[in-house]
Amino acid sequence: MFSTEDSIVAIATPPGRGGIGVVRISGASSLRIAAGILDHPEPLRPRHATYTRIRRNGAGPSDEVIATYFPGPRSYTGEFVVEISAHGSPVVLRGILDRAVAAGARLAEPGEFTLRAFLNGKRDLVQAEAVADLIDAATPLQARVAFDQLEGTLTAQIGEIDRQLFDLIARLEASLDFPDEGYHFVEPAEIVRRIGCVVQTLERLLASAPRGRLIREGATVVVAGRPNVGKSSIFNRLVGAERAIVTDVAGTTRDLIAERVDVEGLAVTMVDTAGCREAGDRVEREGVMRAARAREVADVLLVIIDGSVPLMSEDERLLAETAARPRVVVVNKVDLPPARDTNPSGSHGEPDTAHPTTLVRVSARTGAGFEHLRDAIVAGLTGRESLRDPAMISNARHIALLEQARASLVAARASSEAGEAPEEILLADLQAARARFDEVVGTRTSEDVLRHIFERFCIGK
Amino acid sequence: MRFDVIVVGAGHAGVEAAYAAARLGCSVGLCTLSRETVAHMPCNPAVGGTAKGHLVREIDALGGLMGRAIDATGIQFKLLNRSRGPAVWSPRAQADKQRYALWVTEALEREPNISWIFGRAGRIEVEHQRVVALAMEDGDRHECRALVITTGTFLNGLIHIGSEQQPAGRHGEPPSREMAISIRSFGFEMGRLKTGTPPRLHRDSIDFQRAASDGVFVEEPGDEQPVPFSFSTRAALRNQVRCWLLHTNDAVRDLVRGNIGSSPLYNGQIQGIGPRYCPSLEDKIMRFPDRERHQIYLEPEGLDVDDIYVNGFSMSLPREVQEKLVHALPGLESASILRPGYAVEYDFVQPTGLRSTLETHRVGRLFFAGQMNGTSGYEEAAAQGLMAGINASRAARGDGPFTLGRAEAYIGILVDDLITRGCLEPYRMFTSRAEHRLLLRIDNADLRLTPAGRRLGLIDEESWARFEARRERHARNLDTLNRTLVRTSRGERVAASMLLRRPGERLESLMQRGEVALDVDGVTRDLDLASIANEVKYEGYLKQEAARAERMRRQERRRIPEGFAFAQVPGLSREVVHWLSQIRPETLGQASRIPGVTPAAVAVLGVYLDRPAVARRLDQP
Ligand SMILES: Nc1nc2c(ncn2[C@@H]2O[C@H](COP(=O)(O)OP(=O)(O)OP(=O)(O)O)[C@@H](O)[C@H]2O)c(=O)[nH]1
Ligand SMILES: [Mg+2]
Repeated sequence: MFSTEDSIVAIATPPGRGGIGVVRISGASSLRIAAGILDHPEPLRPRHATYTRIRRNGAGPSDEVIATYFPGPRSYTGEFVVEISAHGSPVVLRGILDRAVAAGARLAEPGEFTLRAFLNGKRDLVQAEAVADLIDAATPLQARVAFDQLEGTLTAQIGEIDRQLFDLIARLEASLDFPDEGYHFVEPAEIVRRIGCVVQTLERLLASAPRGRLIREGATVVVAGRPNVGKSSIFNRLVGAERAIVTDVAGTTRDLIAERVDVEGLAVTMVDTAGCREAGDRVEREGVMRAARAREVADVLLVIIDGSVPLMSEDERLLAETAARPRVVVVNKVDLPPARDTNPSGSHGEPDTAHPTTLVRVSARTGAGFEHLRDAIVAGLTGRESLRDPAMISNARHIALLEQARASLVAARASSEAGEAPEEILLADLQAARARFDEVVGTRTSEDVLRHIFERFCIGK
Repeated sequence: MRFDVIVVGAGHAGVEAAYAAARLGCSVGLCTLSRETVAHMPCNPAVGGTAKGHLVREIDALGGLMGRAIDATGIQFKLLNRSRGPAVWSPRAQADKQRYALWVTEALEREPNISWIFGRAGRIEVEHQRVVALAMEDGDRHECRALVITTGTFLNGLIHIGSEQQPAGRHGEPPSREMAISIRSFGFEMGRLKTGTPPRLHRDSIDFQRAASDGVFVEEPGDEQPVPFSFSTRAALRNQVRCWLLHTNDAVRDLVRGNIGSSPLYNGQIQGIGPRYCPSLEDKIMRFPDRERHQIYLEPEGLDVDDIYVNGFSMSLPREVQEKLVHALPGLESASILRPGYAVEYDFVQPTGLRSTLETHRVGRLFFAGQMNGTSGYEEAAAQGLMAGINASRAARGDGPFTLGRAEAYIGILVDDLITRGCLEPYRMFTSRAEHRLLLRIDNADLRLTPAGRRLGLIDEESWARFEARRERHARNLDTLNRTLVRTSRGERVAASMLLRRPGERLESLMQRGEVALDVDGVTRDLDLASIANEVKYEGYLKQEAARAERMRRQERRRIPEGFAFAQVPGLSREVVHWLSQIRPETLGQASRIPGVTPAAVAVLGVYLDRPAVARRLDQP
């Protein structure tokens, strides 16, 4: 768990905030990992801010970043550190995080940077008190509890899954180590059934992951639409401040404007964008491009339509383009007399079953309909599930580990169903899954497996 | 007399230690009470079994005796787990115990470097915290540069049969009393364990045929084509005896329950801790009341002896109760008992006081191996004897240590478990103890270890030439599979290795259909084929396992300096410091396996060790 051998990565800035976000990589191979992410041919210069880009991954947009390299021991952790500052969108940051992991970094444990800093003598005692609990903790499990209340429930959940798996493993191990005992420690059909149960429980837990992550990391909501439909007015009302300039000139908003707001307890970064249209000067064209990029990373889109005028071709194009995305279609200016044939639902874009379009009518001028709009945003983010349920799993590291565990278990189930693989191969998959649980929760040894066997069965030849 | 290495005890640990040291060119004194006890099998007359069979293959791959000895004197052979994958295949054989002992004795006598020291070992003489000599009880004194102690269960051994008690030495004398005192005097942590053995029956008093036709005995046949233990065995092995399976009944259960008060195990007479994996009959009946019956095997102890070993029936009840119990078994109504079963309690030295070379921390060039370290089983003893013998001879000449990792050999797991965890009960090897089980197979024991054995000097020219030929053949066969195109059921042509990876495809059937021709050897054909098929079919798993093993090795390479003061590391809890100072791990990997040492503590320690001042100390020899 807390080995200092490998390089670790995490988002170092508070979750969800707009503006700038920092991804920090620490460890002996941080420079190599950074080289794998950044589109920068030369090695990073120590303690220099280098303007560069994230290396393109397929057709997606590549974000501009500032990368800074701090050779150890003159760094936050005392190790070799690379910090990458990017636009604050959690989606962008998460993307960088994923790339770093793909390049060989490990997702950091909570507090692990500080732990390393302390171990390397970079922090004083007062600062280190936050991690003292962790160092004193007798078990990884206690450490976990010390760090995060939320994860107490998670530990219990995983512990339960692990117990089921552990019993199965003990039985299989017993049949390998005690072949002439004349016991049927476990029947083949039973193996398939038991693995199936474990997979099911695990999948239920993983299903809570998006919600958990949402609560922990927040989300990005992007306001989109053609010029003058009232995007900035709606944005201002949602953030509760006159943050964006509002005029009756089409093309008022040029750049992205982000503001963090609390929507029903969720940390939401609202992003106002330039209205999309072909025309305009160089500045506006750049703004329109940025708007397009922002739309791509949004967790939910608000597509604004002016209800007082007939639909225009830009509206139609945007509605079609966003049909498959989680979105809320907002008909604005309902305080004005409606134009006929401005019901956008049904006639535009294929209805998407995964993200059914919600239509909300509001007036940014009077504030009518905003309660519905807020509800619609929350529903769009959470998939209509209640947030009152405890979010079981929220930490990206846990999600990654549990996904790996599931993959191993699914492989084990497939091979036991086929009746093809010998037990020790099956066990290799099951043990791999358990090793992942151990990383989340704590450790149990082969000695425990043996103890379990001897408690249950009379082994005697 | 003056020797490079003296070995005390000629049990399974002692003989391997003496043989290895002698083969490495050391003058060896082998101290034992008499020739009769050499490579003696006081309990089960069998070698191998799950994981134990792996140990024997590894001992053989490193040039040890046990594999060749059992192949030469085995009387029934069986490959356990044959229906499963090759990683858990494990050979087991019934030994002719007399011939086995004789074979080993003769092998030792052929070694010009070995001299026998007959008599009772007494005191270990130490100067400047280093062994210098062994004093015998009769007053003789033998100087040595290294000393290996393998006294088995003889340290304060005490036999229990009902209320009868007797010291477990020769002629009723307390065994190795001076030696026990001498060992204690160095302050080693000692504990007390217990093991047991069943009654022996006279073969002529049992009508096997009748019991079989009555259906109360079921024959347990050996394999038609036995797989040898030794990589050097060329001749086909033969099964020469029959073994039988029977079951306990209600009468046995009632007798045990009715007489439980006279069992030393249950009336407090025995304090030592017995193995859970080999419970006495008393434990089977009392601890698992739901189980209707238990398996019993009848196993001949040799061709020229009358003793039948009653496997699964070990007990320490009084003689007359044992008589009734034996007669209560179906088919044994008129069996006569040659020797009663008994329990034996003995002292062992907590092996956490040992280094990974089996040298003690407290006394330089003093090595402990075998059952006195808390293990059970001849194979575990032999494996330690081999490692102690190798390292004693290297220490005698001032060479560096030779150790095996957990991903390299079961022997490595055995030693590592012992020195990092110690023993709470007699330690037996299991395949589930191996975290890299897929890599540690009986078929590749030679590929894993023989090159190391050769570098040490344990493998002679002839064996090395044979090994090289076999390694080449193996590589060639893998190559053939990659290059031979075969037709699938749908008519495509693919490499044989590709086809084999598909579910349901078997190498044997490809060969039968004449689609691929491999170069495999007579006696080891099954094993060779399985090993090739396995390597191809589960390549992905093996690669993953190898990658995990490599990650682990990195931790093993991070050394902790000799005599390191753990208390100086800030941030370690007092309990952690206690365990680390007790067990004195040599690497960060070992530290991480000590119970009570948390991952966080290992991280703290690791970072501290990386500090330049500490790291510099490590670079010094
Ligand atoms: N009557 C009425 N007018 C509105 C409403 N919302 C916005 N407007 C007016 O519509 C005009 C454009 O509003 P903005 O919020 O600047 O529109 P926008 O979509 O941000 O425009 P661009 O930034 O140019 O793309 C302004 O004159 C607003 O006062 C509304 O709900 N009712
Ligand atoms: Mg605007």
